[in-house]
Amino acid sequence: MIVVVSSTGNEITASIDPRFGRCAYYIAYDLEKDTFKAVENTSRNATGGAGIQAAQAVADMDADAVITTNIGPNAFRVLEAAGIKVYSGTTGTVSQAIEDLKKGSLGTAKSPNVGEKFGMGQGPGRGGMN
Amino acid sequence: MIISVASGKGGTGKTSVAVSLARSLEYCQFLDFDVEAPNARFFLKPEIKNEEKVSIKQPYFLQETGADFSRCAEFCHYNAVAYVKNKVVFFPELCHGCGGCLLVGPPESVREKDVLVGKVLKGKSEPGIDFLMGDLIPGSLRTISVQSRLEDYISKREKVIIDCPPGTSCTMVTAVKNSDFCILVTEPTPFGLNDLEISLEVLKNLSIHSAVIINRDGVGDSCVEDYCNKNNVKILEKIPDDIKIAKAYSNGTSIPEIYPEWKKRFLAIIDIIEKDVK
Repeated sequence: MIVVVSSTGNEITASIDPRFGRCAYYIAYDLEKDTFKAVENTSRNATGGAGIQAAQAVADMDADAVITTNIGPNAFRVLEAAGIKVYSGTTGTVSQAIEDLKKGSLGTAKSPNVGEKFGMGQGPGRGGMN
Repeated sequence: MIISVASGKGGTGKTSVAVSLARSLEYCQFLDFDVEAPNARFFLKPEIKNEEKVSIKQPYFLQETGADFSRCAEFCHYNAVAYVKNKVVFFPELCHGCGGCLLVGPPESVREKDVLVGKVLKGKSEPGIDFLMGDLIPGSLRTISVQSRLEDYISKREKVIIDCPPGTSCTMVTAVKNSDFCILVTEPTPFGLNDLEISLEVLKNLSIHSAVIINRDGVGDSCVEDYCNKNNVKILEKIPDDIKIAKAYSNGTSIPEIYPEWKKRFLAIIDIIEKDVK
């Protein structure tokens, strides 16, 4: 099982990046082999649809689950279509989140927990078209 | 001659100036390019004679063909298409209708349909104002598509007044780009000045001549005037901060209708612009 965590850095000791679509890195962790791979998020500067592009990238990594803090409606729709479980509202370090997942103490999300454009600028209400 | 009326900041008096110019001219063409929130019709009260629908093309995906749509997702610059587990996830609100997914996608499996995004209304306001406005469907983001349709109707013979949307992004650029001259309406406050400076920069880049009308003169400070004097920006007129003007506005009445002497002043502005354009 592969779980992808939105991360501020390319190490497992890094903090979780709260923004799913516009995080700095994705840490793809293989729970069977206990190995990981850091992938830079090329969608983070997209003018629009960053969450969709990010969800596409995560699906292309054959992820089974995603751990992040905030997930928007568009990204959620893509992950749901790909059958990827979403553990949102998670904070702390990437490694701690992986440990918590192994222990079964993370809860899955059945819906997005922030609105569109949340990851743009400094929270909700920013961003826009064009 | 095409005169656009713009401003960086919203609520400075674009429509107020634009409809006052049209009312003073009496014979002209008037286009409301603020298609997200068109309001000039409340002042010019045109009789609408014609309504034209504006649509864009959007793709739909024949997923039952079992074709591979991954190239559509890779291609889309606006991320309107995702393709996961052999399923297309389409986000119509992000689609700009470019048709790219038809070109790169599996043959015969991507088709297009018309999606209504707004309309263009045409009418006549007494005595001789040819009135046109765009009206975007609430929720649609295809502002430029509606504006582009309006563009097709800009007259080459009459004097033309274009009421622009606020801001300095694509929608403002589309509204001003055909004009011979742009009037920038501002209020004399630091907010007004900040957005005025950005607007002047945009117009400079577009090589469109411009000058300023200060509205609600008397509020704020002298920052706008100081800036204009220092940077050789012409101030065409100062409209006072006047409760009668504000009350008239809220009743859909333009400035020359309550202060007839302002008709001459607005026509004098047209004269100045005409000389500049020549």
